[in-house]
Amino acid sequence: MDKAISFEQVTHTYQANTPYAQNALADVSLVIPNNSFTAIIGHTGSGKSTLVQHINALLKPTKGSVQVLGKVITSATTNKNLKAFRQHVGMVFQFPEKQLFEETVIKDIMFGPKNYGVSDADAQQAAKSAMKLVGLDESLAEKSPFDLSGGQMRRVAIAGVLAMKPEILILDEPTAGLDPRGHKEIMDLAQQLHDKDQMTIILVTHQMDDVVNYASQVVVMDEGKIVKTGTAAEIFADPGWVYKMQLNLPSSAEFAQKLVDSGVPIGKLPLTIDQLATKISQLVAEGADTDE
Amino acid sequence: MNNFLFGRYLPGNSWVHQMSPQSKLMLSFYFVIVIFFANNLASYAALAALIAIVILLSGVSILFFLKGIRPLIWLIIFTVALQILFSAGGTVLWKWGPFSVTNLSLINGGFIFIRFLLIIMISTVLTLTTTPLAIADGVQTVLKPLKKVKFPVDTLALMLSIALRFVPTLMDEMETILNAQRSRGVDFGSGSLKHRVQAAVPLLVPLFTGAINHAENLSTAMEARGFSDSEHRSKYRIYRWQLKDTVSWLVFLLVGGLVLYLRK
Amino acid sequence: MKDIIQVKNISFNYADQPLLFDNLSLNVHEGEWLALIGQNGSGKSTLARLIDGLNVLKQGQIIVDGLLVNDENILDIRNKIGMVFQNPEDQFVGATVEDDVAFGLENRQVDREQMHHIVERSLKNVNMWDFRDRIPANLSGGQKQRVAIAGIVALSPQIIILDEATSMLDPRGRQDILNLVREIKAKNHLTVISITHDIDEAAGADRVVVINHGKKIDEDVPDKIFANTEQLEQIGLDAPYTSQLIAALKGKGVNLNQQYLDSERLIAWIKQLVSNK
Repeated sequence: MDKAISFEQVTHTYQANTPYAQNALADVSLVIPNNSFTAIIGHTGSGKSTLVQHINALLKPTKGSVQVLGKVITSATTNKNLKAFRQHVGMVFQFPEKQLFEETVIKDIMFGPKNYGVSDADAQQAAKSAMKLVGLDESLAEKSPFDLSGGQMRRVAIAGVLAMKPEILILDEPTAGLDPRGHKEIMDLAQQLHDKDQMTIILVTHQMDDVVNYASQVVVMDEGKIVKTGTAAEIFADPGWVYKMQLNLPSSAEFAQKLVDSGVPIGKLPLTIDQLATKISQLVAEGADTDE
Repeated sequence: MNNFLFGRYLPGNSWVHQMSPQSKLMLSFYFVIVIFFANNLASYAALAALIAIVILLSGVSILFFLKGIRPLIWLIIFTVALQILFSAGGTVLWKWGPFSVTNLSLINGGFIFIRFLLIIMISTVLTLTTTPLAIADGVQTVLKPLKKVKFPVDTLALMLSIALRFVPTLMDEMETILNAQRSRGVDFGSGSLKHRVQAAVPLLVPLFTGAINHAENLSTAMEARGFSDSEHRSKYRIYRWQLKDTVSWLVFLLVGGLVLYLRK
Repeated sequence: MKDIIQVKNISFNYADQPLLFDNLSLNVHEGEWLALIGQNGSGKSTLARLIDGLNVLKQGQIIVDGLLVNDENILDIRNKIGMVFQNPEDQFVGATVEDDVAFGLENRQVDREQMHHIVERSLKNVNMWDFRDRIPANLSGGQKQRVAIAGIVALSPQIIILDEATSMLDPRGRQDILNLVREIKAKNHLTVISITHDIDEAAGADRVVVINHGKKIDEDVPDKIFANTEQLEQIGLDAPYTSQLIAALKGKGVNLNQQYLDSERLIAWIKQLVSNK
């Protein structure tokens, strides 16, 4: 199968037919290929969370249809059938450590697999390998998750999702509040799951450097609509438009823009440090003149 | 649950919105007391008419309003059904084991139903038209005389206001936790009773843990902002009694008199 | 320059936990922007709480503007210090924006009429006056932090402590809050302590203190601190963007004999290099 997920003209209205009604998604169509690494960006309230919750059947479309791994969800899908959709889609929510509840770390990680009917022994096996994946030491297995540090709790929560062996993994700002080291470790884990385990990764983020460094496809949302889809290079090619979407440029593009503003002829904005350094070294070698 | 109105606030600028919270609170209490004096169709009809006018004056459409309290109506029907089945007296219409239905229990059941409905309606109007903060302030004003006997009125009001302020936060958190556990394969609201009770644990433990965290952080922040003693603080807001309050009270007192006159 | 905060030989541990600070000393100069950096769990937030008397010292002394931090002086000290905490949700006490700003004033029994003036002025200061009726549920994280800052401005303190105040915000919100604090600091001649693991936030400080496992391992101007990129990486922090770029340039044969410059100076240097050849 070449596509993991497709949205066809999906509209979602919260609290339809009440004075609180809000259109959170408007006529969204989107294809996410199998084993892709897709970043979904957009300012707060642009509809990113609503979009990804459809992939996990936590929300049903008000109009249109969503297809996930060959199964179709529409407004007519009964709630009873939704659990089946979720088995192969793992979702790491923002601040996922808030969902921990079991007495021990290992029990909490086993919780997901067991809900889908996996035997105790297999769940334990899955939990142990998930712990290894996220870099949690085995000695923590019998500890209470509430005695761990914030960063460790976050890993337990992520392990709890990975233990279900999802084919699609949704990460909703997985590094919010982490320090730089924790940030890098989680993002490298996502990359590894994508490269080695062939997972389809969907990353909701505000960190444009992560978009550049990890994503193969970028989806930009604004006011419940998808306004642009493409590679990071295509998305960030027009800085004015990026700012208009209330987004930032990646650090290197932003720094390059400052160089351009002060008269250094960078040309097309580079996205990574390496590209920027290469460009500058070329300029130095060519002995280019400034516009002054 | 999305249409559920009980306990929610709907911004607006209607007659009822503009009344002072202390008078709305007292009027609601008064109305509930009057309800218990009504005992025949005519007296209930008078109260129903009054509440209909109040809803009209609150700027909320009656249809929307009724839809919003529908989930509670099922609860009342259940309660009333038990009441009917287990009470005796009057002519027996139907009997099965310990259960019986009599003409009197039917009539009583009907009145109880109306009573519940009226109480729910007045309290829903109160919360729909009054911000949580104003309700807390209303409580504070109403209870002020108790300060004389060293009752911690201001502490109570502050607690109430903070509790109400955190309702949406905790609701949001509950929604997220529900979703997180759903995506880990929990089936909320289906299966046997035992299964449902078990399913509540992964929801309640994180919810309480979160609430305790909020409470700890909030108390630190309050301390840092110079909070030490809730009984010695000045007050930013006051709500003044208005003409609308006086008029409303007159109407309610009149209807109260009417109920006393109409009852058997 | 006067030291507005003196931390003298303090030791502290949480109940049932090993010693976090052992004989730590630190001074904060009046009017400076001091960044306290370190990874999560390094003890930097605890230090802020000790300064504000929110945790009780076991050993040593902390003096804030001439007053010893103890039970007796606690309210006076909290009049001098405004704190913005990490979680925007957990410091919003009032039911609406204006009630929240009023909270600190009510605690100090400020007269109602005066209170209304101060609340209005403070909210206008942070551009949130138009949002005065909003409830916290209808505000973004950044807007809530603005309200928290208004609540502090209302009390005209001498010191603002930002305790990871931007770590839960998106990059725009983060920049926005830092600019706001910078503006307020300049206008009111305040001292700012920002506790952070965001290196780019620390780069804007006058002075940086590096904390690791409860120890002060370095203390200097940003230029010096950020020149030592190995040290930053060792304790789990990033090198600032400009240092990373300088290192990358070195890899391409463009050599700068410094490991760190702030972006303004680095841009000037690159510009000169490109035009001189």
